[in-house]
Amino acid sequence: MGSLELYRKSTIGIGLTDALDEMVTNGSIPPLLAVRVLMQFDKSMGEALQSKVRAKTTFKGHLRTYRFCDNIWIFLLENATFKTDNEVQHVDRVKIVACDAKILARPA
Amino acid sequence: MAQILEGTEPVDLAKHPSGIIPTLQNIVSTVNMDCKLDLKTIALHARNAEYNPKRFAAVIMRIREPKTTALIFASGKMVCTGAKSEQQSKLAARKYARIIQKLGFPAQFKDFKIQNIVGSCDVKFPIRLEGLAYAHGHFSSYEPELFPGLIYRMKQPKIVLLIFVSGKIVLTGAKVRDEIYEAFENIYPVLTEFRKMQQ
Repeated sequence: MGSLELYRKSTIGIGLTDALDEMVTNGSIPPLLAVRVLMQFDKSMGEALQSKVRAKTTFKGHLRTYRFCDNIWIFLLENATFKTDNEVQHVDRVKIVACDAKILARPA
Repeated sequence: MAQILEGTEPVDLAKHPSGIIPTLQNIVSTVNMDCKLDLKTIALHARNAEYNPKRFAAVIMRIREPKTTALIFASGKMVCTGAKSEQQSKLAARKYARIIQKLGFPAQFKDFKIQNIVGSCDVKFPIRLEGLAYAHGHFSSYEPELFPGLIYRMKQPKIVLLIFVSGKIVLTGAKVRDEIYEAFENIYPVLTEFRKMQQ
């Protein structure tokens, strides 16, 4: 079962990567363990977002550019608004990376 | 560029006796860039590109000015659709070829050809399609259960017209815009003949 490395670039993913780097550098864990942890992180993020997260957001903006290649959509939006249940957030520019969840179901 | 805007310029009645000039809605053109292309490289580096080889063996790319869509094939051949005039279609095709060049391919611009022109207009009166279909049975196909418009296959010029009860007309199959104009002037007297009188 494959999983995406997409979430390693999130705040929590960067935090985890930095912490693991430090632990490998000072010798408290072997590098292979760090890799295993990151792979588990990829898997857990996918599962958690699918089963544990109930929050929904809708967004709208002017599509500046898009791309579809290797089953991944990339959208660059300008003047976008993100709406959650009780909050509206405006951003001048945002990049959306969207992968087909079905590629997770297929063997990597 | 000389573009006729409806209602803003006097109509040349010698060329358009009906007083109506069909508006060009879509131009399809092809060009050969005459070099092999790596579509994945193009999809990864160009903006506004889609490439899904499982569904279609071409990169689909769009530009905003002139607002068009191009299908770019690995052979180097390209189809450009959506332009509203012949010059716009050629300009768009050149822009796509330039994008391909900038990605490092030795793209040329060979055998540019307009493949199809679509026009439309409104005669602003309703039409009795059954009567028209009966009188012009040789050219007409009218099956309201399949499609609400009458399909009229004109022989000279060789143009297909979709004629709707509302008086809206679509003309397609032209290689040059004068064929659209000629086909419309040919059909206009027929349309007036089968004008539906309001009860």
